[in-house]
Amino acid sequence: MRSKSIDIIHEEHRALAAMLSGMNALVKSIAAGRLEPDFELLGAMIEYIDKVPEVVHHPKENDYLFARLRARCSAAVAVIEQLEAEHAEGAARIAALRAALENYQRTGAAGLADFDATLKAYTEQEWHHMNTEERQVFPLAQKHLTAEDWAEIDAAFVANGNPWAGPAGDYAALFTKIVNIAPAPVGLGG
Amino acid sequence: MSNMLLEAKEVHTYYGASHILHGIDFNIREGEGIALMGRNGMGKSTLIKSMLGLVRPRHGRVLVRGDDYTKARTYHTAQQGIAYVPEGRGIFKSLTVRENLLMSARAGLDGQREWTFDRVMETFPRLGERINNGGWQLSGGEQQLLTIGRALMTNPDLLILDEATEGLAPLIAMEIWRIVKTIRQTGIATVIVDKNHAAVTSICDRAMILVKGEVVFNGTSDEIRAQPELIQKHLGV
Repeated sequence: MRSKSIDIIHEEHRALAAMLSGMNALVKSIAAGRLEPDFELLGAMIEYIDKVPEVVHHPKENDYLFARLRARCSAAVAVIEQLEAEHAEGAARIAALRAALENYQRTGAAGLADFDATLKAYTEQEWHHMNTEERQVFPLAQKHLTAEDWAEIDAAFVANGNPWAGPAGDYAALFTKIVNIAPAPVGLGG
Repeated sequence: MSNMLLEAKEVHTYYGASHILHGIDFNIREGEGIALMGRNGMGKSTLIKSMLGLVRPRHGRVLVRGDDYTKARTYHTAQQGIAYVPEGRGIFKSLTVRENLLMSARAGLDGQREWTFDRVMETFPRLGERINNGGWQLSGGEQQLLTIGRALMTNPDLLILDEATEGLAPLIAMEIWRIVKTIRQTGIATVIVDKNHAAVTSICDRAMILVKGEVVFNGTSDEIRAQPELIQKHLGV
């Protein structure tokens, strides 16, 4: 039986990957002169990345999955500590991304290269982080955690409500708003 | 079975001399969700078309709510509460968004109209912004939303989505999955063909994998997700 918590983490990874892919595609189009920057849209995308992965997603991993795996598998401790350190740096990294966007908005085209570089660095780090979780931590968890462990972890994740939707559905609404204003082909906007 | 919606029994379908489906059995009950998976050219779309009368099976039977629809015309099958979102979308490009939606509006088999024009607008706010635009003016993502909205306007008991996210950007694909989840929660049975096995198995209760026109897996979504080697073997690239 596959755990609900792993499914939820996978789904949140897909949402984050989609958002980062969309942001990078938009910035590429702006840099190529095909699109005017929409700072409200880019700001909303950063807000989503801040709210969902940094505020909801990472604490759940730390508090439940990593904590239980750390107790069951000593071989996982090093990689868990690495991932927890990356989680701890998340707020600073998102702040840097937001600052780069604000600088771009303030300085105009001159700030685009710095924002692009900051976004690429953020994206690369997130891909590395998610790959480490999916390729190293999840297999160890599947191997070493007991059915009781999974039941407790799943219960905690499910009790967390639908994190994809967020409290009162506001994260889902934010996601939908982004999809609706992002210009095609990234989103549905005009 | 009183709650069986659609069945294929020992269906063999050919394109000319090419034998595409080799005795497929398929069934879906009221409220169920089935992920129909397989690489390109394995027979997924042909199976759907065979059940809907868009392609005629050479052997085997198709049952709708227990009645034989093997030789039924497609619109007769559709009138049994079966809505189809085809690969390639198939919107009417010369009609506006509003016309595309209203032309398919009808009550469900139970006489209810739970999916009204207003509800579709609420579910797909982007379509509301494009309501008087012609189909030809829509982006690929908007066309896909329109096709799903049009299918819902028939108040179906079964919704069949063939490659609903094909060619769409990841953000739009995620939004479509979110909408399909919402639709599933209303109790509409759903068959989903898509290459994103993680997304479809998270939405559907059951999964079926086709390889060269034969069923190589038929079980629950939990079972298939617990067998990553099977996913890699039959769906991996």
